[in-house]
Amino acid sequence: MFKELDPILHSQLRLAIISLLISVQEAEFTFIKEKTNATAGNLIVQLNKLKDAGYIEISKQFRDNYTQTTCKITRVGIDAFEQYVKDLQAYLNTGK
Amino acid sequence: MENEEQLSGEESLALITTMIQKAKHSYYESGTSVLLWGSLVTIASLLTFLQQAFSFSIGFDIWIIMLIAIIPQIFISIRESKNRKFKSHTDNAICAVWLTYGITLAGLVLYHNIITHVTAANIQNEGWTLVKHYTGNSQPDETIKPFVPGLFSLYLLLFAMPTLITGIVKKFRPMLIGAIIAYILFILSLFTPYKYDMLFGAATAISCWLIPGIILRKRFYRQKHSDV
Repeated sequence: MFKELDPILHSQLRLAIISLLISVQEAEFTFIKEKTNATAGNLIVQLNKLKDAGYIEISKQFRDNYTQTTCKITRVGIDAFEQYVKDLQAYLNTGK
Repeated sequence: MENEEQLSGEESLALITTMIQKAKHSYYESGTSVLLWGSLVTIASLLTFLQQAFSFSIGFDIWIIMLIAIIPQIFISIRESKNRKFKSHTDNAICAVWLTYGITLAGLVLYHNIITHVTAANIQNEGWTLVKHYTGNSQPDETIKPFVPGLFSLYLLLFAMPTLITGIVKKFRPMLIGAIIAYILFILSLFTPYKYDMLFGAATAISCWLIPGIILRKRFYRQKHSDV
């Protein structure tokens, strides 16, 4: 018997975002967009879903005539990611 | 990348690995600061060595360029902070190490410049003097000013410290090698005449900062072009 995978993380773009954010302290929107190859609109929607789940923090600041959006994984997000990886491993082991 | 695409377990693991690798292979260190300081210390050390070896003077203390270089360094730091798209987990620690190094280096320069004058004044107040006496009276005695013997060895030791930490934390082999060379030169400097200290200083600056700076710069441009 294995736990169901976290539906917030078990989606391609959101998992990519969280995997990226767990590897860095914080990242700008443009960096995440560049590394995930996502469209800006789609990325904003998924970032907001992660934020609503409490997995990431989004901060905006005005810099040189443009708004800079920075994302950072939260403690809740780190725990959720670690749990997701554990569940994934259990899921894969069961399938063997 | 689409979002609602169904992922199998294997695909999820592959995606996690790919994204972690992408973050890991993202560099933003342009190497500008390392190149700046590496070049300046190399030039200043070599010029000081040449002035001592060939008994000539350029008319001013070349090490003053270190103070002047703080101005472009501030601009470089501001520009790099603006261009930085992400911050790694180790960035704050590395920044703290170099800040501490800068303060300690400034402290050592201050010590070097002040302590000899203060000691000279103290000696004078106590009514005695330091004399260089040649054994066998081969030359007449000379009154000398107080000095700190082999002080530059301490600078070599200090140069190695932040370089080694950065090399270990960032797993950046050129800085690791540079720091090891600096430690070797430090030991050598303890046993060789003072006149070679500046040569060791130049070699340390080249191995700790100049070569790693060139490598960082090349890597930065390669990444920049691959991102286009």
